[in-house]
Amino acid sequence: MRHLALACLCLAAAACGGDFSNDDLEFLNALPQREDLAVKLSAASEGRSGGGLTTRKDGLVVRLGEASRVSGDTDKTGREFNGAVDGLLSLLENIRNSSPTSREPDRRVWGPFKDKDHPRFDVRFVMERRELRFDYRLEYRRTGEGDDAWWALLMGWFQADAGIRKGVGALSLDVKRATEETFPVGGLFTLDRLDIDYQTKALPTRVEMAFTPRGSLTEPTRYMYREAAGRLGEMRFTLPDIDLVVGGRLEDVALTTRWAPDGRGMGVLEVLDGDIKGAKYTECWNALGRVTFLARSWDFFNPTEGDRGSCADFSALDE
Amino acid sequence: MTPLASSFRALAVALVLVASVAHADTLRRFALVAGNDEGGSGTRPLRFAREDARKMHALLLRLGGVAPGDAKLLLDEESRDFLAALAELEARAREAQARGERTALLVYYSGHAKDGSLRLGDSRLPFEDLKRRLSGAPADIRIAIFDSCRSGALTRTKGARRAPAFEIESGAARDARGLVILTSSAADEDSQESDALRGSYFSHHLASGLLGDADRSGDGRVTLFEAYSHAYARTVADTAASTAGAQHPTFSYDLAGNGDLVLTDLRASGEGLLVPGAAPPGTYYFVDPGGMVVAELDKAADVERRVALAPGTYRVKRRLPDRLRIGEVQVQRGRAAVLEEARLRDAPFSDDPVKGVARDGGAWWTLGFSGTVQSFFDAPTRDTLFLSVGLLGVEAQLHDYFREDWVWGVDAAVGGKQAVLALPTLAGPGYRYSVASLGTTLTSEWPKGSLAPFVGARMAYLMMRRDFQDEAFPDQKFAMFSPGLVAGVRWNPLPRLHVTGRARAHFFQYTVDEQRSLGYWELGALVTYQP
Repeated sequence: MRHLALACLCLAAAACGGDFSNDDLEFLNALPQREDLAVKLSAASEGRSGGGLTTRKDGLVVRLGEASRVSGDTDKTGREFNGAVDGLLSLLENIRNSSPTSREPDRRVWGPFKDKDHPRFDVRFVMERRELRFDYRLEYRRTGEGDDAWWALLMGWFQADAGIRKGVGALSLDVKRATEETFPVGGLFTLDRLDIDYQTKALPTRVEMAFTPRGSLTEPTRYMYREAAGRLGEMRFTLPDIDLVVGGRLEDVALTTRWAPDGRGMGVLEVLDGDIKGAKYTECWNALGRVTFLARSWDFFNPTEGDRGSCADFSALDE
Repeated sequence: MTPLASSFRALAVALVLVASVAHADTLRRFALVAGNDEGGSGTRPLRFAREDARKMHALLLRLGGVAPGDAKLLLDEESRDFLAALAELEARAREAQARGERTALLVYYSGHAKDGSLRLGDSRLPFEDLKRRLSGAPADIRIAIFDSCRSGALTRTKGARRAPAFEIESGAARDARGLVILTSSAADEDSQESDALRGSYFSHHLASGLLGDADRSGDGRVTLFEAYSHAYARTVADTAASTAGAQHPTFSYDLAGNGDLVLTDLRASGEGLLVPGAAPPGTYYFVDPGGMVVAELDKAADVERRVALAPGTYRVKRRLPDRLRIGEVQVQRGRAAVLEEARLRDAPFSDDPVKGVARDGGAWWTLGFSGTVQSFFDAPTRDTLFLSVGLLGVEAQLHDYFREDWVWGVDAAVGGKQAVLALPTLAGPGYRYSVASLGTTLTSEWPKGSLAPFVGARMAYLMMRRDFQDEAFPDQKFAMFSPGLVAGVRWNPLPRLHVTGRARAHFFQYTVDEQRSLGYWELGALVTYQP
């Protein structure tokens, strides 16, 4: 009888508890998701033929009605941007799918666990809250080491502004430290860091990504994506050593492309260095990705072609 | 008493009855019928007193020669109403006497009696006052029938005799005048009710006798003495094995002259059921569609019997040692149906058409549906964590099993609602909040008439969950045992229907984000049926 009572008590205790937590939800809300950081390309651009950066070496010889090469460049760069985002966020996927291992009023810890992909390492994820700001770290250590051996592969913070993942945040991948710790970094070995800064609390939203090459021998490569009301998108990035025009030098260009959900878009290319430093090239394309307007600031005889009125209104992105 | 003496007395009674028949038709009858389930402080409400009064009132109108205008039915009225109604009937009787009519006044009361008084709700009517009043009532014959606890005190002071040991002066030829008092129990006995009969034993057998079972003479008329002796014998027999002990009705009379009084004329309405002499002997039960035994008939071999059933459909049951014989019979208005043995069929005891199988004074159970509103006391908790919701559920209750007036119940309920999360750093995710509750409750009731206030304790097992529409947020759940208190009132508007209103207060320990002692309340209604 005593055993039965004990068994009933154990059964009752096991039947109690759960993961019903508002705080858990707030902690999870501080972690970015792909939809927050990824470039949302227009659906109309899917499968559209177009050039890439490599074809740019043929110069800016584009005629009205032809496929816009700038549009193609934007799509390609957007997909690469999203690939980097996906790679970074995949490190956080396991966190979303499991409850915290320990809960304190302003701290959550998942783990430590054995890292299945890296058998010699333990992994844990630590989140801390101070008022509306959340800091988080994905930490590793060699199996068997003490608490002071944890080092962070990924670090981030988020300043919440209510709403679903609305706020300002940043996260970074410390590839250099990982390399020093002999942690396998795969295809990231060419980098020291990958940084993402973002703000999602108000339109236009902004996501900025910077790739810092290994040894910091060159300037970081930066990409910025913004999104305004009406699902208008914008990407800005720089392209070094492009042969835009006939001449002795290659050009470094800054490319800003904007697009609407229906597939129309506009590209503005500014030459930062090269044969025509300071020149500006503007191109608009229709829903089919065909050029409807173009303007070359360096061409005195034929500076514009097509109808400027065919360009979509992107003033919402001028803020 | 020798068998010969007994037979002689029966013959004497029969002769008296024959003598009285001639007068029955000219007797103006007045009836005051009162039933009250309530007896005020110190008494437990009765369940069937009003129903007994209703049945008796209907029977007297249909078979007892009482005109509707000369009958008063009082249900749950107090003593002043009782006396006022009695005064009105007395006035009418006085007028009838002034016109030269012979008069009879019948007073029937079913309800509480205690400490030398009838207890009509919170009011009291002392036995002595009532007896004095009835003794002086302006009617040639006054018959008082009291179906109440310890009512034998009404007859104790005046030669109460236990039937069938009463005697009639057979030598007198003139009509009886005076007072007759019948009580359902002796001065030191309780009058018992039966769930199976859905009435008191005494009133049931009195009514059954008046419908024909008591008509030993077979003349189609049931006299006061026939009815009483029948009710006496059957009440004693039925209660002998009860936990309260045998209940002995009493009878007293203060008659000048002689003669019995015909209480019911089985042919008065023309309708009824004829059980032919050829029908097998035995005890027949006549059961209405609700499963209630309306009348019984103890039939001897080769004797035709008549039961003055009201128009309707009845199931007939006769019990054999190894089986039942059951069938159905239709009684039409103004016509006498004949029970044909050939239309009865054999049936196992499990097919007994009589319902109400609960042991008298024993346990009974109910089953029903509930509606509840649940809300946590702490405002932030009920706004953002465990929301206020409505619950629908089922509940089963076992009454009087562990102890009289204790109720043990088990319940299950579910509820939920759509909601939008609103936290300091997170607002907007839509989700469905759901609650499932399993509980067991033990309460103690204090029945007061059709109402029974109660308090008790409850242990619940609550399971909450929320399912978010946004897949970015995981579905969450929490479960915990929750002790609490419950209080409320159960109302019994119909014999088998109970409506309960109740409030609960529960303790609830939350353990996820932190250890927090919470509490919630529930307000609910429960409708249960007693099978």
